[in-house]
Amino acid sequence: MSTFNKRLFAVWLILVGITASYLWIDHSAGQRGVPTASTVITVGAICFALIKVRIIMREFMEVRGAPQLLCRLTDFWVVLMGVAMLGVYFAGKAVA
Amino acid sequence: MTTTESPASLLPPKSSRHVPGQPDMWVFVLFESLVFTSYFCVYLYARTQHEAAFLRSQAHLLLWLGVLDTVVLLTSSWAVARCVQHARAGRYGLARRDAWVTAGLGFVFLVLKIVEWARLIHFGHTFTSTQFFQYYFFLTAIHFVHLLIGFVVIGVLILQLKDPRRRRQETVETCATYWHTVDFFWVLIFALLYVVR
Repeated sequence: MSTFNKRLFAVWLILVGITASYLWIDHSAGQRGVPTASTVITVGAICFALIKVRIIMREFMEVRGAPQLLCRLTDFWVVLMGVAMLGVYFAGKAVA
Repeated sequence: MTTTESPASLLPPKSSRHVPGQPDMWVFVLFESLVFTSYFCVYLYARTQHEAAFLRSQAHLLLWLGVLDTVVLLTSSWAVARCVQHARAGRYGLARRDAWVTAGLGFVFLVLKIVEWARLIHFGHTFTSTQFFQYYFFLTAIHFVHLLIGFVVIGVLILQLKDPRRRRQETVETCATYWHTVDFFWVLIFALLYVVR
């Protein structure tokens, strides 16, 4: 009997792939090794991280097999965290 | 005997959809998420006010080390997710093995973090040196404390799996939920400290 779950492995691969992509972002963002400010990279990094959080919740934490209330609540929470972080970031940029 | 198990068969059937683990743990997860989000918001705001200074300090972090930290924790999360599924299928030996793998990878993360802190302190970057490093040490330390609690949780999980009289799937899922939470907090901390510009 096979005990290897391909779905969990695929999820892990996707999560590692997204994480590794940060190395490319960093390589393309710096100028002569000195990091430069970038709203696109900041927003992208936060969005990618939130996508990873949702994948972890749905697949590893088994929310996809949980009651609809928990599915909706966790999705709402991810959106709430994103809105809060990006909202504060843009508000800070506006007053800086 | 089936030759392969579809992923769906490893989840509870739709007719018996249930909250993974104890609902109290989910209250904790959601509450802690809000607490961490508030830390992240304060950090992001401070960052926008002193962008150049934050970038200068951030340049001293090794991104590849942050990526390695993240991959190690993601792999530990994968291991504990497998542990839950093995326990559900009654394969307690494999479940225990995956619980040990989880703890081992958690230990690797712990060592990597200590090495990183030692390296930064060696080069003069301490809690009081810059505002960025104040946030860096605060966020990584608070996560570290959660990780240490995670070792106690995984210890409980291993003990439960060892003793047939104590085995309860709900407890296994509760322990795994905590560990995954420590993982996804790090995913956010990594993006905010190492990647954002």
